[in-house]
Amino acid sequence: MKARNRLAAVALGTLVAVGGVGVTGAVASTGRSTPHSKVVLTGKAHGVTLTLMYGSSGPAETAAVTAAAKAWAALSGNKVNVINASNFTQQLDQAFAGGTPPDVFYLGSQQLETFAKQGELLPYASLVAPAKDFYPALVKAYTWNHTWYCIPKDFSNLALEINTTLWKKAGLTSADIPKNWSMLEADAKKLTGNGVVGLDVGNTLDRLGAFFAENGGSYMNAAHTAFTFNSPQNVKALQFVQSMAKQGILAFPPQQSSGWAGEAFGLGKAAMTTEGNWIIGAMKSSYPSIKWAAYPMPAGPTGKKGTLTFTNCWGIPSSSKNSAAAVSFVKYLASPAQQLRFAEAFGVLPSRISVAQAYAKQNPQVAAFVAGTPYAMSPVGTVGFATVQSQFDSQVANLASLDPKTLLDELQQNAEALLRP
Amino acid sequence: MGLARTLDEAMAPRGVSAPWSPRRIWRHRGSSTRGQNAAGWLFVAPALGILVMFLVIPIGLALYVSFTNWSGITSPFGRTVQGVGLANYRALLTEPGLNRQLFGTDIRNNLYFVLFTVPLQTLLALWLAVVVNNRFLRGRGFFRLAFYFPSVTSSVAITTVFIFLFQGSGAVNKILSVFGIRGPNWLYDTRGIFTVILSMIGVHSAPGWAGHTFLGISIWQWIAGPSFGMCVLIILLTWTTSGTFMLLFIAALQGVSLDVEEASEIDGATPWQRFRHVTVPMLRPAIVLVLTLGLISTWQLFDQVTLVGPYNQTTWTPAYLSYYVSFQNNEFGQGAAIAFLLFALIVILTLIQRRFVKEDLTR
Repeated sequence: MKARNRLAAVALGTLVAVGGVGVTGAVASTGRSTPHSKVVLTGKAHGVTLTLMYGSSGPAETAAVTAAAKAWAALSGNKVNVINASNFTQQLDQAFAGGTPPDVFYLGSQQLETFAKQGELLPYASLVAPAKDFYPALVKAYTWNHTWYCIPKDFSNLALEINTTLWKKAGLTSADIPKNWSMLEADAKKLTGNGVVGLDVGNTLDRLGAFFAENGGSYMNAAHTAFTFNSPQNVKALQFVQSMAKQGILAFPPQQSSGWAGEAFGLGKAAMTTEGNWIIGAMKSSYPSIKWAAYPMPAGPTGKKGTLTFTNCWGIPSSSKNSAAAVSFVKYLASPAQQLRFAEAFGVLPSRISVAQAYAKQNPQVAAFVAGTPYAMSPVGTVGFATVQSQFDSQVANLASLDPKTLLDELQQNAEALLRP
Repeated sequence: MGLARTLDEAMAPRGVSAPWSPRRIWRHRGSSTRGQNAAGWLFVAPALGILVMFLVIPIGLALYVSFTNWSGITSPFGRTVQGVGLANYRALLTEPGLNRQLFGTDIRNNLYFVLFTVPLQTLLALWLAVVVNNRFLRGRGFFRLAFYFPSVTSSVAITTVFIFLFQGSGAVNKILSVFGIRGPNWLYDTRGIFTVILSMIGVHSAPGWAGHTFLGISIWQWIAGPSFGMCVLIILLTWTTSGTFMLLFIAALQGVSLDVEEASEIDGATPWQRFRHVTVPMLRPAIVLVLTLGLISTWQLFDQVTLVGPYNQTTWTPAYLSYYVSFQNNEFGQGAAIAFLLFALIVILTLIQRRFVKEDLTR
C-alpha cells in the first residue's frame, strides 16, 4: 500500500510538470520520409479538440480510458473526443483512408510496419520519455527502420496458469511446478483423467511460438531480415507439442468445445493453460470460484526460458494538425500514475520498467507474467503476415495427425514470399 | 441488371402484349414528350444519384484499386500508392504463392458449397411450396410462416446457434452418439467428405495423377469435396434460404390454373405424373429464377464465413478472402482483384446456366 502511494506521488509530480507546459520539442524538419528526421509538432497545446480511437477489451477498459481522457482534458484545457471502435482495425484503416485519422490511437506492434512504411506515423516517442524508461523489447517492437515511433502503451506476456484444486487432487505439490518440458509433460500426464486434460494450449502461432522460444528457436533472425520458422529448434518444439497432443495430455480449445484456452481452463476441463495476463480479468469475471495461480513458462530442454509478448502503443498520425496537444496527451497517458491506473483497471502490464516492477510487487499474481519480459518474443510484424499465420493457425487443431516439419516448411515458404520485393 | 431482367421475365405472363405500355401513351401525346422526359429524369434523379454514388463510383474505384498496391490507410490517390499493372491478378492466377493457393482453395470450397446448396435449396423450397399449397392442408398459414421464418432471422444469430449445435460435444454429436455414430468436430474438421469416404473404402492417399496442381492446389485437394465445416454451412444455408424460394414457388403455383390440373386428373394422371408433367413445366420460369438467384447468392457467401471462418480455412470463400486480405493484410489491391475475379466467375457461370437451362421449352 505504501509503495503504491509513493509511486502515485512521484507520478503526480511528473504529471504536473507535463500537464500545463505542453510540448516544446519542435525542431526543424527534413521531411518525414528520411528515417532520422526531426519531428515537427503542429497546432496549439491548449484549446483544441483531439480524437482518441481505441478498441476496448471490455467495460473496465472503456471506463478507464474515458476517465483518463476526461482528466487530461480538464487539466490541459483541451477537449477529447473518445471513439470506442467496435471493429478497431477496420475503423482505424477507414479513418486513415478517409484523411481524418484520430489524433491518438492504439497501434498493435504487428501493425507498426504497415503504418510506418506508408509514412503515416509521427515518430514522436523520444519527445515523451527516454527509451531507457521502457522495457527494451517493447521499444524494439516500435522501432522500424532505426526510428523509434511510438510510446508502448502496455503489454501482456504468456505465463503458465495452474488450477490449484486439480493440482492437489492429482497429488502434486509446489515442488512439481514445471520448470522445464519434462516436468510439464509428467505433470500433464498426472493431471489428465476424469474428463480433465492436463494442458490446453490455444491453437495458434501466438501460443505455440512460446515453445519455439523455449527451445532456442525464433520467428525471424536477430536482424529481422529473414524468417527462421523451419529451424531445427522450432521443428523439435512443435514435435514436443505434438507428442503431448498424441498422448492426449495436451488439447487445443476446439477439442474441448471451447472458444479459447481460458474457457477450458475456467470450466475445469483443463488443469493448465498458457494464456496472457488478460486471463486475470476473465477468471475474475467469468469463473470466480476457480482457484488458480500463474507461474513463468517452463524452460526448454537446454534450460532456455521463453515466452511471447503482445503490446500496443499510442500512435499519433504524421498528418495530425494538433500533434503538439496529442503528444502532451500521450505524455499524460504514459505517465507512471496513469499506467498504474490502467494496470489496476484492466490487468495490462505497465510498459515502464519502474512501474511494472512496483505493480508486480503489490500484485503477486502479476509477477509471473512480468517475469517473462526480459526474454519475451514479439509477434511478426511483416506486412501481409496475417494470411500466412491464419493458414498455419487453421491447421494447428489437427496437429496430432500432421507432420510438424511440413507445417513449418509451409509456414516458412509462405512467409519468405512476403520478403521478396 | 441481369437480376432485374430475370425477375421481370419470370414474373410477366409470356406472350401478352400490354396495350397500356407507357411508350404507346407517349406516342399519342407527342408534343409534350420532351417535358415528360425532363420530368422523368427529375423523378429518377435521386435514385440515380444514390446508385452512382454508392454503386458506380465505388465499383470504378475498386477496379482502379485492383491495379495498385493501395494499403488502405492513405488516400487511394496518395503519393505512396503505385500502379502495379496486372500484378494483383497474376498473384492470384499464375504466380505460385500463398495468395494463389488460398484463392484456389476458396474457389474449391465455394464450388462445392454451390454444387450442394443450389440443388438442395431448390428441391427443398419446391417441396415445401407444394406441401403448403395443398388446398386440403389445415393450418397452411402457420406452416408457411414457420418455413419462412429462418429467412427473416438475422444470419449472424442463426450462425451463432449453429456454431453451438455443431460443437465437438454439441447437440448434433450428442444425437449422433445415440445411434452409435461418433460425430466429427464439425467446425474444425478440415477433411473433405469425399476424402473421408475414400479412406473408408481403403484409398488413403492420392494416386499419382492427382498430384498435378491447378490454381496452386492439387487435383486430390480439388476432388476432396466440402469439408465438414463447409457441410455445416451447406445445411445452414439450405435451411435459411429455402423459405424465401418457397415463397417464389408458392406465387408461381398459384398461377397454375386448376383447370389444367383437373384435366390431367380426368385423363388418368397419377399425382406424381401430374406433378412431373404438368406442375413442374408450368413452374419452369420460377425454377430458372430460383436457380439463377441461388447461383449468384451462393457465390457471394460471406456473413456466415466471418463467424465460422476463423476456426477453419476450408470454410473460406473468395468473398471472405477478399475482405480478409484487404483488412487484415492491408493489401486492398489484392482484395479488389479477388472481388473482380469473383464477379467475372459469377457472370460466366450465370451465362452458362442461362444457356443450358431454358426458361421456356418452346423458345
